[in-house]
Amino acid sequence: MVEAPSFAVVGHPNRGKSSVVATLSQNDGIAIAMEPGTTRESHAYPLTVDGNTLYTLIDTPGFQRPRKLLAWLEAHSASASDRPETVQAFYNQHRDDPQFHDECELLKPILEQNAGIIYVVDGSVPYSAANEAEMTILQWTGRPSLALINAIGSDDYSDRWENALGQYFRIVRRFNAVTAPFEQHLGLLRGFGQLEARWEQPLTAATDHLEHQRQQRQTDSADLITRALSDMLQLQVTGSIGPTESRSAAKQTLQQRWIDSQRKRERQLRQGVESIYQHHRIQRQEAELHWAGDDDLFGDHSRALWGVSRTHLATAGFGAGAISGVGVDALTLGHSLGAGALLGGIVGAAGSYYYANRLGKWSMGPLRQGHRSVRFGPAADLQFGYIVLGRALNHWYQISHRNHAGRDPVNLATTGEHWISQLGKDDQRQLQSLIQRLCKGTTDGRRHDQWIQTINHTMHAFSQWQQNEATGTSPAQSV
Amino acid sequence: MPHGPLTLLLEFDDQVRRDQTQTALFLHRRDRRYALDCLANQQRPGIAGWLDHVQTRVPATSRPDHDSRLKPWRRLTLLLTPVGALLGMLTMLGLLFYDGNQQINVTVIIGFVALQLLLAVLTTGQALVGWRPWGKLLSSVPRGDDSKRSQIHPMLAQLQPQLAACTAHQMALAFAVAGWLTLIAMVVAQDLAFGWSTTLRTSADAYTGIVQGLAAPWANWLPSAVPSLTLVELTQFFRLSDAVGDNPARYGDWWPFVAMLWLTYAIVPRLLLLVFARLHLRFQARRLLRSHPGRQSLLHRFATPTLDTGSDLTDSGSAPAAPQQQELHALPAGDALVCWAGAGSEVTDIRTRLQQNAKVLVLQAGGTASLNEDQQTITQLAEHDRPAIILCRAWEPPTGELADFIRDTRQQGPANRVIALLPVGGETPLSPASDIQSAQWLRFVERQQDANLWVCALPAAPSAEARHG
Repeated sequence: MVEAPSFAVVGHPNRGKSSVVATLSQNDGIAIAMEPGTTRESHAYPLTVDGNTLYTLIDTPGFQRPRKLLAWLEAHSASASDRPETVQAFYNQHRDDPQFHDECELLKPILEQNAGIIYVVDGSVPYSAANEAEMTILQWTGRPSLALINAIGSDDYSDRWENALGQYFRIVRRFNAVTAPFEQHLGLLRGFGQLEARWEQPLTAATDHLEHQRQQRQTDSADLITRALSDMLQLQVTGSIGPTESRSAAKQTLQQRWIDSQRKRERQLRQGVESIYQHHRIQRQEAELHWAGDDDLFGDHSRALWGVSRTHLATAGFGAGAISGVGVDALTLGHSLGAGALLGGIVGAAGSYYYANRLGKWSMGPLRQGHRSVRFGPAADLQFGYIVLGRALNHWYQISHRNHAGRDPVNLATTGEHWISQLGKDDQRQLQSLIQRLCKGTTDGRRHDQWIQTINHTMHAFSQWQQNEATGTSPAQSV
Repeated sequence: MPHGPLTLLLEFDDQVRRDQTQTALFLHRRDRRYALDCLANQQRPGIAGWLDHVQTRVPATSRPDHDSRLKPWRRLTLLLTPVGALLGMLTMLGLLFYDGNQQINVTVIIGFVALQLLLAVLTTGQALVGWRPWGKLLSSVPRGDDSKRSQIHPMLAQLQPQLAACTAHQMALAFAVAGWLTLIAMVVAQDLAFGWSTTLRTSADAYTGIVQGLAAPWANWLPSAVPSLTLVELTQFFRLSDAVGDNPARYGDWWPFVAMLWLTYAIVPRLLLLVFARLHLRFQARRLLRSHPGRQSLLHRFATPTLDTGSDLTDSGSAPAAPQQQELHALPAGDALVCWAGAGSEVTDIRTRLQQNAKVLVLQAGGTASLNEDQQTITQLAEHDRPAIILCRAWEPPTGELADFIRDTRQQGPANRVIALLPVGGETPLSPASDIQSAQWLRFVERQQDANLWVCALPAAPSAEARHG
C-alpha cells in the first residue's frame, strides 16, 4: 500500500499557514491569528477514509531565525550535493536547542516523514527579499515543494510574488483561504498530488471523497430543511381559556407560544446545517429574531424577501409556471413597509401580530367546566412555507459556501430579487404541492425522499440565483 | 418468533428521533463502524442488529411486539373479545328463540351469516385501503393538553386501520365462535324446530338449490348436513298457516346445515381474515420501515466510507492571552534609530516624522541585512547611551531574530538603556499600530522580561510650522 503523503505547511509567521490548513481540513477550531512564540508545536490534520489516512496536512510554527539557520547551513556545506544532508545535520544538532525550536519543529515532518513542502506567503504584502533565506532553506531540503500565495489583506502583490517564488518553487499557486470556492480546494489538493507521482493516487481518491461528501452534505441539509419545514408548517399549540380569562389575552399568549416555538425550530435547523458543514463556531450576525426586527421570521422584511406573489400562490399548483417570469416576484408590500419600519416598534409589532394571526388556524374545543380548549396551528398560509424555505435556503447557501478559515460573523445578506424564478416549472409545481401537503398535514413519510429531491432542486436553483446575483445577471433574463 | 416488525418499527423510529440530536459526523462514524464490523464478521448489517448495537443491549433472538405503546390496542382487544363472545351468545339465543308457535326461520340465519361475511369483507377492505373514517374525530377536537397528543406515535397513527381491523376481526371471531357454541348447546338442550319461509314466491326446488349451493363446501364429506329436497318441501311454513307437517322430527334435521353454515361462513372466514389482518399489519409495519426516511440515511451511512478531515482537532486553546500591560509608552528622545527588516524605508526624512533630533543615527538591521550587518549595527549602538529606538512594521510579527538582536544589543551596550520598540501600522503615511497589532508586541516584550524594553506609541505628526521653523 502506498504510504500516505504528508504536507508540511510552512512559511513566515502570520502569513496564512493556519488559514490554509483550516480551510483544507474544514476545521474552524484552528487558531488563525497565531502569534510567534505562543504556538511552538506542529499540528497534524490527517484526512482519513474509514480510518485509513489518505494524506496529512501539518501546520507548523513559522520561521523565527531563518538567517541564522541559513548561515549555519552555508558554513557546514561543502557543495550543492550535500545540502539535504546538511539540513539533516542541522536538525540533528539543534533539535534540543530552544533557540531553533521552531525551525526544528518546522523541519521535523520534512525530514522525518518525508513531507512535501507547502510554502505559504501573503500576497497582500509586498514581496521582500527577506523571505529568500526561508526559501533557500526549503530548497536545500531537496523535498518536493509548492508555493502558495494566500492574499490575506486587501492589497494584491501576487504578480511580484509569483515571479519571485518561481525562482525557488516548481509549482506556484494562488489560493485565498477565506474566499476560495470549494472547486479550488479540490484543485489545490490535486496540485499537491502532482508534487510526486506516487502521491497522485491518494490525492485523487481524497478529492473524490471530498466531492462526494459535499454532495451528501447538500442532501443531508435538504433532509433537515424538509423536516424543519414539515415541523414548522404543522406546529400546533393547545391551551385553554378559563371562565374569568380574557379570550383575546389567552389567544395572544397561545399565539406567542406558537411563534416562539417556530423561532426555536428555525434556530435548531440552522445549528443542524452548521453542524453538517462542520462550522461549530459561527457567530451569527443575523438579528436574533426580535419581534419587530427586520430579519424576524415573522417580520415584514422576511415576507418581502422570501414570500411569493399571490398570483404564484394561486397558480403554481395548477401548472401555471409559465407565467412565473411575470408573476413571481417579491411581495412589494415588504419594501414599502421596510420604510414604514420608521414608524417604530409598536407599529411593527402590531403588524406582525396581525400577520401571525393570519398564519395559523384557530380551533375551539367544547366548553368543559367553564374552560374551553383552544388550539392554534397548523399554518394556514402557504406564504409562510415559502418564507421559512427562503430563509433556510439563504442560511444554507451562506454556510455551505463559507470556508473554515473565515472568522467574520455570518451576515445573512439578502437581496431584493426572488430566487424561485430559477426553479423549473415542474419543480415549482412540486414545491407548491409539498408546501400544500405539509400545511394540510397529509404526510406519512412515504413521500419524504421525493420531497428531499424537490428541496435539493430548490437548493440548486437558489445557488444558481445567488451566483447570478453575484455576477449581476438578472434572474428574469434567465427564465 | 423473530423480531416483532411493529416493535422494530417503533424502536427504529425512536432511535432515528434520538439521533436527530447527534451530529451527522458522529452518526456516520458510528454506523459505518457497525457496518464494517458486520462485514468483518461476514454478516450483513441490518436494522435489528443495528438497534442492538446502538442501544448496547443483548441481541434478542425473539422479541415479540411488546412495546408499551401497543398496550392501548391490546387492552381494547382484550376488552372487546369477551364483549364479542357475550354478544354472539345473545345474538344466537335471539336467532334460535322459539316459542312453539312458529319455526326458526333458516332464511333469517342465512341472511345473518351473509351480513357477517359482508362485514368481515368490509373490515378487511377498509384496512387494505387504509380508510380511517374515525380519524378526523381523533385529530379535530383540541384536547387541551399537548402531552396527550404527543403520545400518539406517528408510526402507530399510520397503522391504525390495520390495528383496528385486527381488533375488529378478533371481536367478531369471538362473536361467531360463541354463537356457534350456543347453537350446539341449544341443539343439545332443546328441541329446535327449523323451517324456512320467505315472502317471495320461491319454490322448494329453487330454495333447495340455494341451500345445497351453500352446503357445497361440505357436501362431499358431510352429506348429512346437506338439506334434501324432501326436507325443504316438508319444512316450508307460512305465518298464517298453523299447519304442522306430519313428521315434526324432520324440523330438527336442519341443525347440521345451520351449524355448518355458521362454521363455514361466519367462523372460518373471520379466522382467515384475522390471520390475514395480522399478516397485513406486519406487512404494513415492514413497509413503513422500508420507506422510513431514516432507513435510507442509515443504509447510506452503512455503505459510505467515513471521511474525516481532521476537523475535530483543535488548537484554539493555545490562542494568545491578552497582555498584562495594555498601555504604550511615550516615545523617548533617542540618538539611534534602527529600522528593523526594512521598516521606514519608504519614509523620507524619518527623523522629522518621528520628532527625533536631526543628529539621530539611522541604522538598518534584520530582513535582508546579513547577520554581519546586524552585528555592525549592534556595535554602533553600543557607542550610544541614550535610548535606542527600533522601528518595526506592526503587521510583521516579532520573530526570534528580533529577540536575538535586542538581547545582543542589551548585552553589548549600556545595561539600563531604554530600548524602545516602535511598531507602526503603516508607512505611507506613517500611522500608528492598531490595538490588535500592538497587543502582540506587548506580549513579545513581556516574554523578553526586560524592564527597559518598551513598546512605544507613534507620536502625533508634527505640524507644518514645527517642521519648518
